[in-house]
Amino acid sequence: MSEATDLAERAGDRDPRVGLRAVAALRRLLEQLEAVQVRSARAKGWSWQEIAAELGISRQAVHKKHGRR
Amino acid sequence: MFERFTAEARAVVSGAAEQAERTGSDTIGEPELLLALLDRTDSPAAAALAALGLQARRASVADALAAVRRRGGVSAADAAALAGLGIDVDAIVASVEREHGVGALAGGAPGRRRGVRRRFTAEAKSVLERALRMAVARGERALGDEHLLLALTCGRGPAAVVLADHGVTHAAVLRVLDADGGRRAG
Repeated sequence: MSEATDLAERAGDRDPRVGLRAVAALRRLLEQLEAVQVRSARAKGWSWQEIAAELGISRQAVHKKHGRR
Repeated sequence: MFERFTAEARAVVSGAAEQAERTGSDTIGEPELLLALLDRTDSPAAAALAALGLQARRASVADALAAVRRRGGVSAADAAALAGLGIDVDAIVASVEREHGVGALAGGAPGRRRGVRRRFTAEAKSVLERALRMAVARGERALGDEHLLLALTCGRGPAAVVLADHGVTHAAVLRVLDADGGRRAG
């Protein structure tokens, strides 16, 4: 049995492992979603300041993370 | 940290950076480390993977990793766990791709940003740290590519899921490494 079907079956058992794994996966997905949206905003001419304001973080933080692209 | 790495382990790390460049990924993550590990020949990890029959299934592993990258780092097992929370990852991927193009969540287009120094993801960094701890725990002086393989298989990231789906579990790797070590000692 693949791990995917195994986990799907356990999802109903309130196994903490499934919930924790979901959070970790969501974090990975979130990082990629953020990268996509920042790239898109930059391509549309948004400043780092404007992007940072929408993300609710400092301009320095957003530039440090995404500035090289 | 890298001073204790063997030449083979260093080759995996630099190979991972090359993989990221090839696929256009903005970061070096678990998928890139695993692809680089699969490229190795004549190393402890290559011998272990060959013993487990993985070398012949490299294309299948690469396909599974490509699917993970397209989902933004989410493995099939992760997607099942997220479905339990009511989050449909495929629907998210489809809507992002509709707006930003196919492969948008994989982070960049192939050939983009050549020669740029890419950073390791937090997940990839923790693979390197785990590998170091494993070398120490096994009483081995240097960190070899077999420790990177052990670290990838015992994690909760996408590499472990893809490897397990191809029959390469942490226990299986330990078994072939210890069998090989026993032969060498004897």
